[in-house]
Amino acid sequence: MFPDEFYDFLLDGVLTIGLTHYLILSVLLFSLGILCMVTKRNAIGILIGVELVLNAASINFVAFSKYQTGGLDGHIVALFIILLAAAEAAIAIAIFMNFYNTLRTIDVDRGDELRL
Amino acid sequence: MDVFEQALGFYLFAAVALFSAIGIVVTKNIVRAAVLLLGTLGGVACLYFVLSANFLAAIQLIVYAGGTLILIVFGVMLTSKSPFVVFTPSRVQIGIAVVIAVVLATSLCTLLLQVDWSATATDQPIVQSPQVKVVGESLLQQYLVPFEVASVLLLVVMIGAAYLARPEN
Amino acid sequence: MDHQYESLLAIGVLIPLIGFVILALFGHRFGKPYASYVAFAAIVISCILATWVLVGWHGTGDAARDELTKNAYRYHWGSMGDISIDVGVKLDSLTVIMFFMVTFVSSCIFFFSIGYMEGHSDEIDGQSKYHRFFCYFSLFAFSMLGLVVSSSLLFLFIFWELVGLCSYLLIGFYFDKKFASDAAIKAFVTNRVGDFGFIIGLAMVVLYLGTFDLDEAARNFSTDFYAGTGIFASSINLFGWQVSGMTLATLMGIGLFCGAMGKSAQFPLHVWLPDAMAGPTPVSALIHAATMVAAGVYLVARVFRLLTPDAQFFVAVIGCITLTITALIAIVQTDIKKVLAYSTLSQLGYMIFGLGVGAWVAALFHLMTHAFFKAMLFLCSGQVIEGCHHEQHITKMGGLRKKMPFTCWTFFVGVLAIAGFGIPWTHAGLGGFFSKDEILAVAYERTYNWHDTDAPSESHSATSEPPSVKAVSAPHQTHPPSETPEQHAGSIQPVRHAGSTAFTEGGSDDGIHGGTDDAHGGDHHATGTPKKTGIAATLPALPKWMFYLPIIIAYVTPFYMMRCWWLTFCGKPRDKHVYDHAHENWKMFVPLVVLAVGTVFCSYYVFRPLIHHAASGEMGATHTPAIVAFDGTAKTIADAGDKMMMTLTHDEGKDPHHALIGLVGFAWIIGIGIAWLIYRNGLAVGKRITQIWPISWCHRALVQKLYFDHVYDNVLVGGTIVLGAVAYLFDKIVVDGLVNLTAAFGRVIGIFTGRQLDMPVERYDIGLVDAIANGIARVAMGIGTVARRPQSGRIRTYVLIATGSVAVVLAAALIAGAAD
Repeated sequence: MFPDEFYDFLLDGVLTIGLTHYLILSVLLFSLGILCMVTKRNAIGILIGVELVLNAASINFVAFSKYQTGGLDGHIVALFIILLAAAEAAIAIAIFMNFYNTLRTIDVDRGDELRL
Repeated sequence: MDVFEQALGFYLFAAVALFSAIGIVVTKNIVRAAVLLLGTLGGVACLYFVLSANFLAAIQLIVYAGGTLILIVFGVMLTSKSPFVVFTPSRVQIGIAVVIAVVLATSLCTLLLQVDWSATATDQPIVQSPQVKVVGESLLQQYLVPFEVASVLLLVVMIGAAYLARPEN
Repeated sequence: MDHQYESLLAIGVLIPLIGFVILALFGHRFGKPYASYVAFAAIVISCILATWVLVGWHGTGDAARDELTKNAYRYHWGSMGDISIDVGVKLDSLTVIMFFMVTFVSSCIFFFSIGYMEGHSDEIDGQSKYHRFFCYFSLFAFSMLGLVVSSSLLFLFIFWELVGLCSYLLIGFYFDKKFASDAAIKAFVTNRVGDFGFIIGLAMVVLYLGTFDLDEAARNFSTDFYAGTGIFASSINLFGWQVSGMTLATLMGIGLFCGAMGKSAQFPLHVWLPDAMAGPTPVSALIHAATMVAAGVYLVARVFRLLTPDAQFFVAVIGCITLTITALIAIVQTDIKKVLAYSTLSQLGYMIFGLGVGAWVAALFHLMTHAFFKAMLFLCSGQVIEGCHHEQHITKMGGLRKKMPFTCWTFFVGVLAIAGFGIPWTHAGLGGFFSKDEILAVAYERTYNWHDTDAPSESHSATSEPPSVKAVSAPHQTHPPSETPEQHAGSIQPVRHAGSTAFTEGGSDDGIHGGTDDAHGGDHHATGTPKKTGIAATLPALPKWMFYLPIIIAYVTPFYMMRCWWLTFCGKPRDKHVYDHAHENWKMFVPLVVLAVGTVFCSYYVFRPLIHHAASGEMGATHTPAIVAFDGTAKTIADAGDKMMMTLTHDEGKDPHHALIGLVGFAWIIGIGIAWLIYRNGLAVGKRITQIWPISWCHRALVQKLYFDHVYDNVLVGGTIVLGAVAYLFDKIVVDGLVNLTAAFGRVIGIFTGRQLDMPVERYDIGLVDAIANGIARVAMGIGTVARRPQSGRIRTYVLIATGSVAVVLAAALIAGAAD
């Protein structure tokens, strides 16, 4: 019914999961993260966007670790990414708290001055 | 895991992660976004399982879903006067942002589809069973310096966060 | 189909999950009555599947069942190091009947809830919570069924936590009310204490037995015991205390039991269950009476093979304490739901006690009968509360019999069932009669007849025997002459009929059943006493108080239940407003009638044989000593190859209650009679009795629930506050001191260096450092003035510009590359 190439594509490109699949997923997550960072005016929304971007990056590392040479190095890097994300979230939330205490809002667009 | 399980796992969890991420971007309610983030983080953790990174998956669930997400939810709680405060950017901004994100995604996808990854591919599977041991050993040998730096960083973060979040007096 | 039972059960577990997902996502669109239909349909389908499995399983032969159990499907999910994590259904008789019980009771209660929720406001902050209630119920049904079928301790634990979560959500269903949210938090936190022990036990199972699988763990445990390897060979040094392998095994068992203590609300963690009555009544009926609290008992039954004799003794002690104190507290409660709550605690105590003394079959049989009648009692109370305009105090009720006859009589069936109604010397009686007496009978054996089973047996050659059963009858046993209870009870002497103590040895898998039935028919006679092999050799006799307390409580139970029933339904109405308002709702009494029928008919002849079969399967694989049943004709121990199971029996027919008929056979009528005498004319007599001196003192203590809440509040909460104060002082003095010291040191250095560097270059001029600083500042300001234009200060714009540039450059490069 379909040409052979179609079945080849189905078998190799769709059913056999390779590095490319993960990379594409990572790209999509990354773009969505960027979109989230740009379109949210709530500071926490921006933080969530950052988390999406970081997750996209760690998927890359782990996928490379599995499908390319390099052993477990990718896992270690992903581990550090998770750690950094946690640290970053802690600091970010503290900053947002200060921001909120100062400006009585969490809207980042209101924080466009370097002083009060 | 055989091919079919790999495919099933990938598509299922990738879909969960992606759709949650889309939900995060689309929703205006920040609480909902925080809850949907759990979907993405969990989906990614499951993808780690599919990628046979069991230890990493567990860490992702514990630290990310268990720690970071809770932090974010607390942030939401402490910084909203009522749960339904909504700030929306202008339509122009959203339009520009969507265009840029689409251009970025398509060009990155084009780029990575042009590369022939099989040239550097490996046939050796990731060690399954003593993986935690290997990760732990390399953390304390090969990656000792970053590990220590990270520990200092965490200490600094802890102090910094406590300093920043302390009440004014 | 090879794995049809597993598949059916697995589907039965997943259907309520589908219901949950539908309700969680679209529940608010369904609106008020329709959301409940989704949940009800899901659980009814599960119940039909469960019935299908139960009927099929009932019709399967013992050998075929064992075969099915052994070959149950396992899916390899993943591995943790060497430990494989499998998902599977633990397919045996216990699972099948538990599954049926849960789905059947759930179906009734779901149906009841539809009527119950009609009369309740379900809006908080203008948002309807109606669908949420059924959403949580479906999630609960899913988790409870998952807990029942799990073959691995890991998954059992996961579902265990899930049912805990559902319990929390449903207790706090009216979370805008302070007492409800407090009760929810109390339940959750108290359960955490127990689960902490559970996790430790689980970790020890994984560490020492190297598996999550229940059967495999039990096998390894018994192999290790006989070989003296594994946990029995290890010993650890715990803060200077050398812990031997046997103690470690005991600690492991106690750890696992701690989980059950939390969930089944055993002393000292029992305080959450009465408070949990703050939830809607169907929740109390389903979760806090019939199913979830029984999960603790189920867990102990499942890990029974991992309990050493010491751990079993610990279990029995806890059960005994719980059943006693909670039954006493139940006497003085005036809230109808609290009476039932404490009675639940007491019955759970009976089950735990039964497991602790080894009455495995009786305890689980009691669990089944209790699930039916307690769910029914709670639903009746829900009907009463609903009909009486949310009045819960029985002191304000009375005379409701005429207004709600169905509720009244179904409640009375429940009272009879829990009281252990039965006609002595016959087979007539409700489930509670057989199950409770069987527990007591085993306790009696463990107290008084235990010593004569110590001697080693001389005449058997274990595995070479043919499968046929050899009965070894011993000469008449001597009993402790004076204190035996039947002497107190008069001329009836059933226990003495146990004149023959026989040792039964079966070489095949069906040895236990054969041994039970054919013990008398054996032709091989020799002198000898039952051999206690392995761990059984150290199984101690029970102290006497652990036999007498449950006996006394068997008299107390009918008393407080009758008091509750009489004050609610009989006598004169005490509150006109309540009486006038009382009415019945048919949607709510249909499930009552169904459950009443279940209580009366389907307990003894359907459930008990299956549980007995489950016992042979569970105990068959290990050497764990358990007097699993009270049955048949003679005291026997079946020891077939690697089997170790004791069946205590007496030759007076086959009914366990014959054993203690004189002692507790009439407890139900005595208890009910006393309650009737005191309360037949209302509260006056009861009030006068509580004013007599020693009784008044006890009464006050009981009303205060024996001060458990006070102690916990003062010791635990107060202790935490004190700890916080100490930590604060430490922080203030030591930590802040260090920080200030460092700061002072830095300041001194700063002042010193500042003096050195900041010397004036010329007179009246600024210092060198200042001059440089100002210069830099001026340059920076110049640059800043130019550079601030694109710096709007808006983070989002920055991100937009950055990614935009990347996107443009990347796209341009790609297009250029494609053009080449």
